[in-house]
Amino acid sequence: MALALEMKGISKYFASTDVRANDQVDFAVEAGEVHALVGENGAGKTTLMSILYGLVRPDAGEIKVDGQPVQIHRPDDAIRHGIGMVHQHFKLVPSFTVAQSIMLGMEPNRGGFLTPNEENRIVSELAERHGLPVDPKARIRDLPVGMQQRVEILKVLERKAKILVLDEPTAVLTPQEVAELMRVVRNLSQAGFTVIFITHKLLEVVRVADRVTVMRGGRNVGSKAVAETTVPELARMMVGREVLLKVNKAPRQPGPVVFAADDVSVTDVRGFPAVTRVSFEVRAGEIVGIAGVSGNGQTELVEAVTGMRALDGGRLALNAKDATSLSVRQRRNAGLAHIPEDRIHVGLNLETNLDENLIVSRYKLGQFNRAGFLNRRSMRDFAIDVIKRFSIAAAVPGGGISRLSGGNMQKVVIGRELAGEPTFIVANQPTRGLDVGSIEFVHRSLVDARDRGAGILLVSVELEEILALSDRVLVMYRGQIQGEVDPATATEEQIGLLMAGAQPETTAPTA
Amino acid sequence: MEGFFSVFTIELFNSGIRLATPILLAALGGALCNKAGVLNLALESKMLLGAFLGIVAAYYFGNTYLGILVAVIAGGLLGWLFAFLYHRYQVDLVILAIALNLIILELTVYIMRVLFGQTGSWSDPSIVRVPDIHIPIIQDIPVIGGLLSGYNFFVYLSWAIAITLYVVLYHTTFGRHIRAVGENKEAAETVGINARRIQTLALVLSGMLAALGGAFLSVGHLKLFTRNMSNGRGWTAIAAALFGLNHPIGTFFASLFFGFADAFSVRIQNVTDLPPNLVEILPNFATVLVLVLIALRETVTRSMARSRSRAQIRAAADEKPGPA
Ligand SMILES: Nc1ncnc2c1ncn2[C@@H]1O[C@H](COP(=O)(O)OP(=O)(O)O)[C@@H](O)[C@H]1O
Ligand SMILES: [Mg+2]
Repeated sequence: MALALEMKGISKYFASTDVRANDQVDFAVEAGEVHALVGENGAGKTTLMSILYGLVRPDAGEIKVDGQPVQIHRPDDAIRHGIGMVHQHFKLVPSFTVAQSIMLGMEPNRGGFLTPNEENRIVSELAERHGLPVDPKARIRDLPVGMQQRVEILKVLERKAKILVLDEPTAVLTPQEVAELMRVVRNLSQAGFTVIFITHKLLEVVRVADRVTVMRGGRNVGSKAVAETTVPELARMMVGREVLLKVNKAPRQPGPVVFAADDVSVTDVRGFPAVTRVSFEVRAGEIVGIAGVSGNGQTELVEAVTGMRALDGGRLALNAKDATSLSVRQRRNAGLAHIPEDRIHVGLNLETNLDENLIVSRYKLGQFNRAGFLNRRSMRDFAIDVIKRFSIAAAVPGGGISRLSGGNMQKVVIGRELAGEPTFIVANQPTRGLDVGSIEFVHRSLVDARDRGAGILLVSVELEEILALSDRVLVMYRGQIQGEVDPATATEEQIGLLMAGAQPETTAPTA
Repeated sequence: MEGFFSVFTIELFNSGIRLATPILLAALGGALCNKAGVLNLALESKMLLGAFLGIVAAYYFGNTYLGILVAVIAGGLLGWLFAFLYHRYQVDLVILAIALNLIILELTVYIMRVLFGQTGSWSDPSIVRVPDIHIPIIQDIPVIGGLLSGYNFFVYLSWAIAITLYVVLYHTTFGRHIRAVGENKEAAETVGINARRIQTLALVLSGMLAALGGAFLSVGHLKLFTRNMSNGRGWTAIAAALFGLNHPIGTFFASLFFGFADAFSVRIQNVTDLPPNLVEILPNFATVLVLVLIALRETVTRSMARSRSRAQIRAAADEKPGPA
């Protein structure tokens, strides 16, 4: 078969982060195939595709489309050569309608004046032709993520793309939406389109792709036909060593209740209900997982539990004592630890050094504080101790942390939070954006804390993570707990249905 | 009591319109910049520069309209310089604006002294003020004629620009591209829209509009230049753009509001015995009030939404007893 796309010797060095994001990468895609591009976070997949789409200028390398060498300096050039990209973070204008978004930059017009009716008609026809129904007049900000993604795909199709690049398209979808997307991708490839499908979930590769290219540390480490490879082999190529896909953990030994939410309601930043009348308990020695598509109230629930957002109803209890209106510090003193979702802006202060980051939650203790002055020496000793206990490679006592890798930054957060042996730990998306080695470390740390007797509330949109770690799983949908499942017996479909808002078949009794 | 009500006259309306005009011109520029996602806090100094260059060039060329043209071109060039420094060297627009606001004030006074030996204000008998236009037919209609006719071209031009800007922003492809750039620059760039060009254009146009508003002060409204002639109108214009939600028509009415507040305070000084110092700061109170309203808008809508949500939750709780 003919090559639709050939990239040769592509290199890109980012001075600001000192990363060789692409290193002599060769990448070839045949016409009409679904080609999966896999690799860990930071492997350089997005960079390679941004170069193809003209968003990033490569230091070296050449690109051929349909056998012809092409120069791509800007997205216009890519569009002209039939390349379209659906970005990991959608590039949509929230106040625009579906039709306005799809036609942006190529609006039908009469002498420069807009013709909304014609625009809506074109979009309806386009949607119908590709079997991807949308409402042309709906506003982007009112649409669920799956729909926004569909708008992005239509946007690319309207620009007559022959090669579609989808960057981590499944990261934001429910399992049902993922299945739907897979169907769409297969249909497109049957209709003659070439699809490049970026993911780091290997099961998706097997389900959707014809061929697969694996990237690691900015290099192409091999391309294979999907029929001739296996998930473990791909995992090995991706990580560079054997990976344990399972977390080993002993059966749970639940103790007394360490945290209880009773009929809790919370509103979001705009004042709209985000969590409505949620009740659950976490016992010592268990991990309770909160599954759900992001944006269903998890963020607000975590903020309410950790004291960063006031409740609009209900009560909280920490270690059997009322904690409803305790401040963040009072909750921390009562045994709470918090591994926040956003380690760069919330979890750490990259402007200051390791020592201060590690004691920021305990600087009032006599150990670090002498009549209002910080005791640098004991801070340093504490940092040395945490570095050793949590093996934070590359961290230097008293040194900066802004250049640490994502995995090491998260180790700093975890070191600070777990060093005080908390009784209740809230971990929100603790492994997002981390490499496999760091993910294993985070999982191990959480399981160890559980075995030590801490109760853990784990919030994650990664279903695999929830199932691997949790002793009980609660599924959140539109601010409510849609149901509880047992991770040992539950199937992905079962949880997926709950995540999409279906009623549980057999209501599991709440503890 | 009679004295108080006698302030509401056609003259009050006329002077409100006139005082609103420089604010409106600059505010439209500010709104355009906000729509295109570039903050223009230098309206004040671009306006002052326009006032100064407008009258000085009118004096040297012996032609008021050439003077206005020079002012507008200078405002545009200054806007272009902002865009250039911003895009090429990533210079912070806020810092740039603060610097310019400081420099222009001193520079105009300095040049005034060097050229004309004056430090407070300057004028010359040879300078001709822009004449008022009496619209045929309309001027003869009772009341309406008095309200709508008899302003100079600045006033009618500012209305035309407001309407044109509205049509361009909301009914042309180009305007849609501007709004896309302002709301999500990356989204616009990935479909091939040249965001840099659009933002440059917005800064150039807003510089021209602010300078035009300034020229209105020195050769349209009066016939002289005084130190710090813009006197905060550029800042009021920024408030007007925000108050008008950056919509050209909203900005039009917001600017009228500020213009009338100005006219009202002038009028009150003439017909009442209130201490003039107190009355003079009246328009400033109006500005502060509006800014507070703008600042509180988010908070108030949020807390109103929140109390509604709470009521809903309580109502649901009363209906059926909660779980657990
Ligand atoms: N614009 C940028 N500036 C600096 N560093 C970058 C930039 N984009 C990506 N990187 C770095 O390049 C590496 C590869 O990133 P990316 O291509 O996004 O990986 P992937 O998509 O495979 O997760 C990462 O280490 C990332 O931090
Ligand atoms: Mg990526």
